[in-house]
Amino acid sequence: MRIPFISMFVTSPFDGVQEHAEMVKECAWVFQRAIECIIEDRCEDFEQFRKDIDKLESEADAVKRRVRGHLPKGTLLAVDKFQLFRYLREQDKVIDAVEEGLDWLSFRAAAGIPQVLEKDFMILVEAVTDPIEELSKMVAEARKYFSSFSEDQRIVVKDMIRTLRHHEHEADKLEDAVKEKIFNAIEDPVAVFHLIRLTEIIGSIADHAENAGDMMRAMIAK
Amino acid sequence: MAWNIGANDVANSMASAVGARAITIRQAIFIAGILNIVGAVFIGSHVTKTIRKGIVSTDILADPHLALIGALSALLAAALWVSFATWKSLPVSTTHSIVGAMIGFGIMAGGFSVINWGKLGAVVLSWVISPVFAMVIAFLMFKTIVKFILSKQDPFSQALKLAPYFISMALFVVILSFLFKTPLGKQLALGTPLALLVALVLALVLSFVAVKILRKFIKKTNLTGEEEVFRKIQIGTSCYVALAQGANDVANAIGPLAVIYFLVKTGSVGAKVPVPVFLLFFGGIGIACGIGMAGHRVMDTIGRKITTLTNTRGFAVDFAAATTVMVASKMGLPVSTTHAAVGGVMGVGLARGIEAVNFRVIFEIILYWILTVPAAAITSIVIFKILQLFIYRNF
Repeated sequence: MRIPFISMFVTSPFDGVQEHAEMVKECAWVFQRAIECIIEDRCEDFEQFRKDIDKLESEADAVKRRVRGHLPKGTLLAVDKFQLFRYLREQDKVIDAVEEGLDWLSFRAAAGIPQVLEKDFMILVEAVTDPIEELSKMVAEARKYFSSFSEDQRIVVKDMIRTLRHHEHEADKLEDAVKEKIFNAIEDPVAVFHLIRLTEIIGSIADHAENAGDMMRAMIAK
Repeated sequence: MAWNIGANDVANSMASAVGARAITIRQAIFIAGILNIVGAVFIGSHVTKTIRKGIVSTDILADPHLALIGALSALLAAALWVSFATWKSLPVSTTHSIVGAMIGFGIMAGGFSVINWGKLGAVVLSWVISPVFAMVIAFLMFKTIVKFILSKQDPFSQALKLAPYFISMALFVVILSFLFKTPLGKQLALGTPLALLVALVLALVLSFVAVKILRKFIKKTNLTGEEEVFRKIQIGTSCYVALAQGANDVANAIGPLAVIYFLVKTGSVGAKVPVPVFLLFFGGIGIACGIGMAGHRVMDTIGRKITTLTNTRGFAVDFAAATTVMVASKMGLPVSTTHAAVGGVMGVGLARGIEAVNFRVIFEIILYWILTVPAAAITSIVIFKILQLFIYRNF
């Protein structure tokens, strides 16, 4: 017996968003390991890390498509449907940027990262992975808010978004500092181009995380 | 027929409670069974009257044989149609089936003119109004809960503070329906203003007693203490829905049966047929049997499928559905509990209280309104013809 009462309840898209955020978190971890690997002298696992990220990216893409494709017309959500899609898009772009970064690095893997810049890149990578690890926590807290509507919970989410923005700002400053150092320390123009572009891609990871945070802010607005 | 009602419609009363984990499946079945009987016996008689003689003009019921065949065919047609729908997994309403079946018999017995189209219009209109009404109540109720409890600094103590008002609102409607027009209420013979006053006072007193009990049983454990408060209240509102359901749905099964019973007993049908209490009781028992035997499977599905309904939302849905059904049942309008419950969920959904609700089910419901009534009517006509053949041959 198909009971009309039951058929009203569809799978929440937030399940998918949460799943996607977990993948982003996993991505951050692999990315950090990959950069550490390339900075070490003898890196053998880099290709493996790159493959892992590729796989994660396509899986996350599938999750994204599942969320978008399985919201029947006439579904009412706790938030605006398109806000949710915009959020998911930004969250997905974080993974895309990570993938792009590793791909870009692989084009010139033999040269790797010059020794003078090793430390700077480590710090920069750390600075951008911090915010993307926050994303899954933010989604979980936001879901709690949608179920409790408690003002305290809203403040918790707002604080997390503020932290995200703060992280992005820090990453931006680091990005500028690294760029400046690249121009001053490296002579080879090909290496400069490669490194500058790499810095920009890594920096964009934090940008997308911040954008995702901004969309979340819009979703929890009263 | 009553069995079918019990098996299918129990979902409406207990779904949100089971879904929100307020009560276990076993408890739900037990409570729903008992309260359906109570609701059927004490509040149920009005709708029965409407179905029995409101839609089909009483003139044609003058011929006892015709009336007997008609009532029998209507009952059989509705039961057949609902069974068929259950087998085919179609979301139909038992209420609509019986109304359709009565129409079919009316047309056969006396042509289109005997159908009280105005009355039928009112009934159809009530099908549209009841989900809307439930939706509005649920929306307002949930918004109120958010504004005065959830978004406050200390939602737990706010919930406890406001609990008496929520409980007394529910009690007020229940007591009022007991006082008006039920056999029990008639014996007391209170005037309208006095009845209102008595209901109000009783509701307030009872609700404060209830809150005293609540306070004793609930200790603040974690952040979601306010949900805990509503978890307890929801047990009460689920009873409220079951009560309203018994009051409303028993008519579906008993309406035609009452006509048959009366004919067999007295040989004629008067304009006013008292509905024997034992028939109502019988109907209630039938519903309870349905709940007991098939309810488990339905409830199990609900428990697994509806996970996003928390106690505050469940309360709003229950309250809206029960109030709608109760009011409609008092006005003698046969409405569907399903529609009221669906309307309630929509209201909470519109208040953005649920992560995802699909409203397309509304169109499905409308489609089956349009299908059920003629289908049941035609089935009724066919059975009527067959019965007529048999009975006239015997004469």
